[in-house]
Amino acid sequence: MTEGAAASVLLVEDDIATRAEVTTFLRARGLRVTEAADARSAVLAWQGARPDIVVLDLGLPDVDGLTVIRRVRREATTPILVLSARDREASKIEALELGADDYVTKPFSTGELLARLHALLRRAAGPAAESDGAVRLGSLRLDVARHEVTVGGRPVHLTPREFEVLKVLVGHAGRVVTHGRLLRAVWGTAYGEEAHYIHVYVSQIRRKLAAADPDGDLGGLIHAEPGVGYRVMLPGDGDRRTGAGT
Amino acid sequence: MALAAAAIVAALVVATLAVAAVESWAGITDASAAYLLAVVAVAVWLGTVAAVITAVGAFFLYNALFIEPIGTLLVSDPREWLNLLLFLFLGLVVGQLAGRQRERAESALLRERQARALYEVSRALAAASSAREALPAIVGMLSSDRVGSRAWISLSDAAGPERPAADSGGPAAPAVPASHRVVRRAAGNEPPAWVRVHDPRYAHPGAAPSAEDTYRVPIESPGGSRGSVWVTRPRSAGPPGRGDTRVLLSIADQVGQALERDRLAEQAVSAAVARRSEAAKTALLDSVAHDLRTPLAAIRAAAGSLADPEAQLDGGERLARAAAIDRDAARLSRLVTNLLDLSRLEGGDLRGRPAIMVVEDLIADAVDRHADLLAGRPVTVEVAEGLPPVVVDAVFIDQVLANLLENVAAHTPAGTAVRISASMVGDDRVRVTVEDAGAGVAEAALASLFVRAGPRPAPAGRGGRGSGIGLVVVRGLVEAMGGTVSAARSALGGLRVDVDVPVAPAVIGAPEGAGQGGP
Repeated sequence: MTEGAAASVLLVEDDIATRAEVTTFLRARGLRVTEAADARSAVLAWQGARPDIVVLDLGLPDVDGLTVIRRVRREATTPILVLSARDREASKIEALELGADDYVTKPFSTGELLARLHALLRRAAGPAAESDGAVRLGSLRLDVARHEVTVGGRPVHLTPREFEVLKVLVGHAGRVVTHGRLLRAVWGTAYGEEAHYIHVYVSQIRRKLAAADPDGDLGGLIHAEPGVGYRVMLPGDGDRRTGAGT
Repeated sequence: MALAAAAIVAALVVATLAVAAVESWAGITDASAAYLLAVVAVAVWLGTVAAVITAVGAFFLYNALFIEPIGTLLVSDPREWLNLLLFLFLGLVVGQLAGRQRERAESALLRERQARALYEVSRALAAASSAREALPAIVGMLSSDRVGSRAWISLSDAAGPERPAADSGGPAAPAVPASHRVVRRAAGNEPPAWVRVHDPRYAHPGAAPSAEDTYRVPIESPGGSRGSVWVTRPRSAGPPGRGDTRVLLSIADQVGQALERDRLAEQAVSAAVARRSEAAKTALLDSVAHDLRTPLAAIRAAAGSLADPEAQLDGGERLARAAAIDRDAARLSRLVTNLLDLSRLEGGDLRGRPAIMVVEDLIADAVDRHADLLAGRPVTVEVAEGLPPVVVDAVFIDQVLANLLENVAAHTPAGTAVRISASMVGDDRVRVTVEDAGAGVAEAALASLFVRAGPRPAPAGRGGRGSGIGLVVVRGLVEAMGGTVSAARSALGGLRVDVDVPVAPAVIGAPEGAGQGGP
C-alpha cells in the first residue's frame, strides 16, 4: 500500500461523525485529507487543493453530488469515488456514467473504502501496458493489436464479441464499467437484440478464462456489481467484496 | 262513465228483446230470467254498482213492458207482485255476488303482479354482489313491465348530486324537466299520491318539453336520501296506478335497504382489514425491535469495553471487539435493507429490471459475495449441465440468495452443511435450491415461512432469532421477478427452499453456446 502513501484526498461528506471518522482513519493510513461539507465548498477546495482523488457523498445539503462530478470532469480526470446508499442503483449508475470511477455503498467499513481508494490511485498511476501495447493483469495478457488473450501463456479462444467485452473491462481495470457503457463500447449506440445477452457473454468469458487457468489465479477476475455493471479486479485487490453486497 | 252507461243500456235492450222473443214465440209466460243474465254480464264486466243499477232498471222495464197493464208500472194481479219483488231481490243478490267476484279476481291479479315484481327485485338484489350491480335488472323489469316507458335509478354518493346508475333507455342520459311528479307517502292506510313539484335540483338544463311525464320515487335509507327511482310515462296514460305505485315504492325501499347493507358491510370489512393489518404491524414491529436490539446490544457491549479506560484489553481482544462491532453493524444494515425492501414491495413501488443472466454465475457471485454470512459453514454448489439463461433482476436475486444464506446461518449451528443447487423444472423454469442439514422446520409451519402476518409459532428446532422478514422479502422479490418460492424438508435433514425463475426466451443473435451451461 505504498503507492498512495503521499496521495491527497478531498473528502466531501456532510455528516460530521462519518467525515471525522474517515478523516482520522485515512490520515492514520498516511493520506493527506482535505474536508468539505457541501458541494459549494467541495468545488472551492477542489480548485484550491487539486487533490489526487475525490471521495464524494452523493447526498449533499446544497446541490446534488452529481454536480460536483460534472464540475470536476470539465477540467480533470482525477479519480472520483462515490459514496452512495444501497437502494440507489440508479444514482450510482448516473454518477458512474457522468465520470465517477467507482462507488462504495453506505454503510461501508473504512477498510472497504481504503481498498477502493488504493485501487483507484494505482490505476491513476498508469495502465500496466507492455511495450508492444499488450495489457497484462496477473497471469492474463491481452494483446489488442493481435486480438490475442493468454492466461499463463496458454491461449484462450474468444469470439470477436467476447474479446471486445474483455478488452473494455480490462481497459478499465479497477473501475466499475456500467452495463450501459459496456454496451455502447462493444455494440455501439444502436445495440441490437444480442446485447441482451451481455451477462451471457461475460459468463462465457469467465468460463473460458477459468478453463485456461487450472490454478485459479484469475478466480474472481471479473466481478459482478449487481444492477450496476462489471469490474475487472486489479492484482492485489485483496478485498474483492464491495459495499454492494451487504 | 258514458261507456259504462251505454253498456248497461245495451245489456237491458238485449235482455228485453230476448224476453219479448221468448214470451211471444215460445209461449213461456215468465222469461224474466233473461234479465238476470244481463245483470250477471254487467256485474262481470263493470262491477257491483253497475250490476245493481242494471237490476233496478230490469225490475222497472219488466214491470212496464211485460206485466199487465202493459205500459204502466201498475200491477193488476197481486200474485205478480211477489214474482216482481223476488226478481228484484235475485237481481240485486246475483249482481252483488258476481261483481264482488270480479273485484276479487282483479285485486288478486294486481297482487300477483306486485308480488312477482317484488320477487324479481329481491332476487336481483340477492344475486348481485352489491346493490349497484342489481340496478340494471331492476330498471329492465320496470320498463318491460310497462310501469314506465323508460326507467332509471340515480344514486348520490356522499352529499354529491345524483347520477344515473342504471338506465333502461338509450345511450343519452335521461333529461329530467324541472317540473315532475314525486310520490307522497301517506300516513296509515291512505294510498300514496303523486304530487307535481318544481324541483330544479333534478332538472336537466337541456330537457325539452315532451309527451311524457316524469315520476320520481325517492330512495330513503337510515343514512338519508340515497337517490331516486325514475320512470317516464306517456302523458295520456296518467300517473302510475295503485299497483304500479306500490311496486315503485317497494323497489325504492328495497334498493335503499340494500344500499345501507352494502355500506355497513363495507364499513365492517374495512374495520376488519384495519384491525388485521394493525395486528400484523404490531407483530412485525415486535420482532423487528427484537432483531434490531440484538446486534445493538452486542455493539454497545463491545464499544463499552473498548471505551473503558480501566479495561485491560490486549491487542487481540481489542481487535476481536472491533470485529464484532463491524459484524453486528453489517447485520443491522442487512435488516434495514430488508425492511426497506419489504415496505417498497408492499407499497408496490419496487420494480425489477429484468436481464438475461446465467444461473451458475449468479450462484457463484452470491456465494463469493456473501461467504462471510455463512461463517465457515461448508457450502456445496451443484449446478446441472446445460441450464438455459434465466430472466431475473440481478439486485433482487442477489438479495434473495443473501437472505436465504443468512437464514441458514441464523437457524443452524456452526459447521452445518449447506447445499446450493440449480436444475430445470419443466421446460420454462430453472429452480435454485438452498438447503441445509440443520433441524429443519415443522411440516405445518412450512407454508407460513414466507408470510408476514400475525404472531407465528417459533419454528421447531430452529433458534427463535430472526423476524422472518428475510424470507418474506425473498418471496416478494421472487414474485416481482415472475418466479415462485416454496419450502420443503431437505434430503440433508434441514430446510429446503426452492426458488423457481423463468427461463429467458430465445433471442435471435444469442451468442454461441448461450444455451449450454458447460464450459
